[in-house]
Amino acid sequence: MKSIELIGKGKEMHGRAYIEVMPDELENAIKKLKENGFNHFVMLSCIDWLEEEKFELVYHLWSYEVKEHVMLSVRMNRNNASMPSMSHLFPQIETYEREIHEMYGIEFDGNNRLTPFLLENWHHAPPMRKDFDSEKFVGKLYESIPFIEEDENEGI
Amino acid sequence: MDVMGIAIKVALLTAYAVIGTCVGLLFMGIGRKIIARVHNRVGPPFYQNFIDVAKLLSKKTNISHGWIFDLALLFSISGILLTLLFLPIGGVQLLSMEGDAFLVLYLLAIPALGFALGAGASGNPNAGVGVMRALVMMLSYELPFIITLIALMIYYDTTSLATIVRMQSINGVKSWAITMPPFMLAAFAADMALQGMLMEQPFDIPVAPHEIASGPMVEFGGKYLGSLMLYKAIALVAETTLFVDLFLGGGVVAHGNFAFVINFIVWLALIFLLFILSILIAASFPRFRIEQAFGFYWKYEAIIAAISLIWVYILVIK
Amino acid sequence: MGLYIGDKMMKYEEWSKLAIKVSKASLWMLHFCTGCGAIEMPPVMTSRYDMERFGIAPMATPRQADVLLITGYLTVKTLRRVIQVYEQMQSPKYVIAFGSCTINGGMYWDSYNTIKHLEKYIPVDVYITGCMPRPEGIINAFIKLMELIDEGKARGWEKYQKYYDKYKENQRRVFNFEIEGENEEY
Repeated sequence: MKSIELIGKGKEMHGRAYIEVMPDELENAIKKLKENGFNHFVMLSCIDWLEEEKFELVYHLWSYEVKEHVMLSVRMNRNNASMPSMSHLFPQIETYEREIHEMYGIEFDGNNRLTPFLLENWHHAPPMRKDFDSEKFVGKLYESIPFIEEDENEGI
Repeated sequence: MDVMGIAIKVALLTAYAVIGTCVGLLFMGIGRKIIARVHNRVGPPFYQNFIDVAKLLSKKTNISHGWIFDLALLFSISGILLTLLFLPIGGVQLLSMEGDAFLVLYLLAIPALGFALGAGASGNPNAGVGVMRALVMMLSYELPFIITLIALMIYYDTTSLATIVRMQSINGVKSWAITMPPFMLAAFAADMALQGMLMEQPFDIPVAPHEIASGPMVEFGGKYLGSLMLYKAIALVAETTLFVDLFLGGGVVAHGNFAFVINFIVWLALIFLLFILSILIAASFPRFRIEQAFGFYWKYEAIIAAISLIWVYILVIK
Repeated sequence: MGLYIGDKMMKYEEWSKLAIKVSKASLWMLHFCTGCGAIEMPPVMTSRYDMERFGIAPMATPRQADVLLITGYLTVKTLRRVIQVYEQMQSPKYVIAFGSCTINGGMYWDSYNTIKHLEKYIPVDVYITGCMPRPEGIINAFIKLMELIDEGKARGWEKYQKYYDKYKENQRRVFNFEIEGENEEY
């Protein structure tokens, strides 16, 4: 596949190119792909590998010329995870980084718009991390609020 | 005038106002039913609008936005009631004066201004947008309407509505203005202006519910909205009656002692037909944007009205 | 308070009965379209199911509406807006809640951001079960609401006025939720 030839490593997975890069190689890889026809940034997704203590960021790009989908995968440590921001290459990355910062707590250096995005008044742990116990949180917050029962003797 | 005469006059005026309101509400209900049938729906019962108004007037909380908001509604309703009382209905005009054709034009502008005041007092941005559009719409439809009115005034050589109606009813249907070719054009232009006055589609951009949340009425609720519906019902009757008076001889077909009853029924039938026409146009067209509506009125309608005016002028000179 | 009609005086109670009769036959709704319920509304309004034959009409603003329809799950963020809309409506006002999401969270029962029981924050008069309810169900709910109004049982707005402090307390709890040392806990 074209993207694998361009970067020089990676493998084909389900008809897509899957390339694992190191964090310091990422910017050059995206730049090179962008110059060679991969000019549609599809999305940025994140995976929490709890057992391996890693976060994986996947940059999806698409080329209209060779009709090829490439996934650039970057791994980083789970503790104090941070990445350089790529929003100067594709401006829409800024919003994806904002969401991932809110949902996983990953810091993106160089993105100064990491303000609260989707969650309302959220000051707990990032909710999409695998060690966030959603059921326990629901029990603490929503289930603990009482129903409002009418006083039968008083009436309205 | 003796006390008895004044009392009878006041009673008649009240009766006119009540009849106007009831007829308007009934027509609005029938209009909803017709639109529903056009959409292949069953539609609400024809008395639905009476229920709606009663419900709105029986609401328990009514939020006001200051005294201008309260007064503006009164302004609108009294303006449109006064217009209705100045119009000959079935050939009978309760209030009259010299040059009342002009007066009616001024009175018709009062409700829109009252509307604007109320909407402005509510402070909602949607209401502001809606009022701007309503005033632009008023400016657009008044030009062709005034030109057709001038044509009528030149032909009948009067500024009194009662005289226009009387001269059209000399020979019954044959002397109606709409039977003459120049006034057919004028009537077409005036009917389109009527569509704008009634704020029916395609000219309902001021109150577009899906775009600006029903425009000027956005902050009206409870009793205020109920009064607004009453205003709309009276406005419907007053505006269609104005058209009937100008082009259809005010519905006067009979003369004599009990002619009033027949004339009244004919008037009712004529305004009903006009309203049905307007409803059918409304049910079959989407809405114009404000600049399209403005262009429609000032380009095509104004030209049609101007042609009829020139034609009438040539007829009169000969 | 009363008014003479003919030779008998209509008492205040009789006027209230009349008011109940008319408010039953003309329910104007505001559909607060969250979640997947919004897509069920167009068939109900248009020619297939035609809710206008019962006097039910869609309205554009909360000031004009009598019934608030909540058509699906609510997050904390949308709950804030729903409460604003509900408080803007003019009483008597009613709430119809759609689907299992508003009853107990439905398929979002363990979601960190979806409120589970709508009834804890605003009073609900009629629930429609299902995921999603069909248009017949929606019309059925309106008929049920009319029956409740007729029997004088649809009084959620009175309950909200009476227990206003409790409702406000619940709303405050869900908006400003804090636990000490919680960053480690979850």
